[in-house]
Amino acid sequence: MPAALSLQGLSKRYGTLTAVDRFSLEVEQGTVFGLLGPNGAGKTTLIKMLTTLMRPTEGDAFIQGHSIVSAGKKVRELIGVVPQENNLDRYLTARENLVLHAKMHGIPPRDYRPRIDELLELTGLSGRRNDFPDTFSGGMQRRLVVARALVHQPRLLFLDEPTTGLDPQSRRALWDHVRTLRSRMTIFLTTHYMDEADSLCDRIVIMDHGKSLVDGSAAELKARYAHAHIYELEVRRDAQRYEELFSSLSAVTSLEREQNAFRIVLRDEESLKPLMDSMESGDIRRICLVEPSLEEVFLDLTGKAVRE
Amino acid sequence: MLRGALSIVWRDLIVLRRSLFSELLAVVASPLTLFFAFGFGLKGYITAVDGVPYAVFIAPGLISMTAVLAAFEESAWSMWFHRRVQKTIEEYRVTPITVYDIVVGKLISGFTQGGIKGVAVAVVIFLITPFRFPLQNLSIYLLFIALGSMIFSCLGTICGTVMDKPENIGRIQSVVIMPLIFMSGIFFPLSSYPPSILPVIRLLPSTALFEGARTALLSGASSMLSLLILGGTAVVMFALAVVVFNRKIEE
Ligand SMILES: Nc1ncnc2c1ncn2[C@@H]1O[C@H](COP(=O)(O)OP(=O)(O)O)[C@@H](O)[C@H]1O
Ligand SMILES: [Mg+2]
Repeated sequence: MPAALSLQGLSKRYGTLTAVDRFSLEVEQGTVFGLLGPNGAGKTTLIKMLTTLMRPTEGDAFIQGHSIVSAGKKVRELIGVVPQENNLDRYLTARENLVLHAKMHGIPPRDYRPRIDELLELTGLSGRRNDFPDTFSGGMQRRLVVARALVHQPRLLFLDEPTTGLDPQSRRALWDHVRTLRSRMTIFLTTHYMDEADSLCDRIVIMDHGKSLVDGSAAELKARYAHAHIYELEVRRDAQRYEELFSSLSAVTSLEREQNAFRIVLRDEESLKPLMDSMESGDIRRICLVEPSLEEVFLDLTGKAVRE
Repeated sequence: MLRGALSIVWRDLIVLRRSLFSELLAVVASPLTLFFAFGFGLKGYITAVDGVPYAVFIAPGLISMTAVLAAFEESAWSMWFHRRVQKTIEEYRVTPITVYDIVVGKLISGFTQGGIKGVAVAVVIFLITPFRFPLQNLSIYLLFIALGSMIFSCLGTICGTVMDKPENIGRIQSVVIMPLIFMSGIFFPLSSYPPSILPVIRLLPSTALFEGARTALLSGASSMLSLLILGGTAVVMFALAVVVFNRKIEE
């Protein structure tokens, strides 16, 4: 069986700007794949090429073995797409939006009717099936777009920043929905939320400036790239004095204090001993190592949190 | 191949049906105003054109104009709206339909709107004015209108595809479409033109359309040349619409 998705030196240039730079990648069947990157990294451009909306400047990609350049129609039969911006038809009801999609896929009514009912049920939109999408909340519109992408039971589902702009409850609901899909299809999602990638994806690629920077599972990336040694330390007394003392230590690279609690970044593993030696043992109430987060990996690699 | 096109037409007809009454009311208003202003208001000053009463002379042109303008507007605005505002064209384009489906679908929609609105105006003119024509002439007249709607629908599709700013569509309408219509013998006979420019006017597809359609409706005669010009223009415009759309959409 071919890879669900295989990118071979895929590039896109807008004039002099290289938005995607010779990107190569293989994604196995059944993976939840996360493409992580700051704004402007090239995620949407990559998805637009993979979904045949945009012609690559160079290179090719294969979806279930079919070329996006020369077999676009076949590719489009196999993919479902949730674009970054909702593109629902506001003159059609929720249900009609799904029916139009089914018709374009050539699904006969006796097949699409039960399928659409089931999807509306699953996404909690059954009660609003005959309403127009511009009367929906952001989360409901997003769920409708996801439902629409699933009408024809795609083998590969693309989600471009599926939860950007949603409230926490809607995000959780969407994550739960995506989790139920993973057994039936390969999922390719982009995001700039670390927690989203961490909790949903089997495999993560971080990209910036059109290039892939790292590739691995969330656990692997953290183990490999989070170099910082961060400790949380709480003292019983003399917080003021300890603050001055810690900031004079060369082993401490950064220090934050809130009342009696410190967040300390050490230079390396060996730095823990001089820190402990500087303290009266009776003064320590609590000390613990902070798990490295994907956020740190990301910041370390791209040098910024959210770029506008 | 037509599956995708028909899906788009299905969508457009659902949407049209929801607002049919107000659409028709709006579309009937302007040709009727023109009819009263020119057909009745000027009746005392212009008695007959080539032996045809003036009100009867302009009636077919008003019907044809309504049909082709509706075709143009529907295609242009709908293409612009789906491309720039709703981005639904992107949704269409990630399903296994082709660029032809989208262009043909939008064409058929424009064409259908033209037909429905033209009929509405015709019915109203028929009901409230003494305008009558021989019924057997209707089929050849409809052939003219069909070709004309097709051409204007292609033109609209092209405008809606290349123009990102909506005001430009309005400008094209007043700078290109309206002059073409008014110059083409709807309100005055071609014989009013100086003989030196008449051959040029005769070659305009819009002349072939409006002049040809009126002659067909009133006398039953059909000009082979007019039909050829219209057919040729329709084919060229369709090819152009497909090429332009294909180009633009891949960025
Ligand atoms: N149609 C376009 N024309 C020119 N530049 C573009 C176009 N679309 C995107 N870009 C640029 O390409 C880069 C990547 O954009 P995009 O793929 O949207 O990134 P992301 O989705 O990761 O935020 C950005 O610098 C953006 O400004
Ligand atoms: Mg994006």
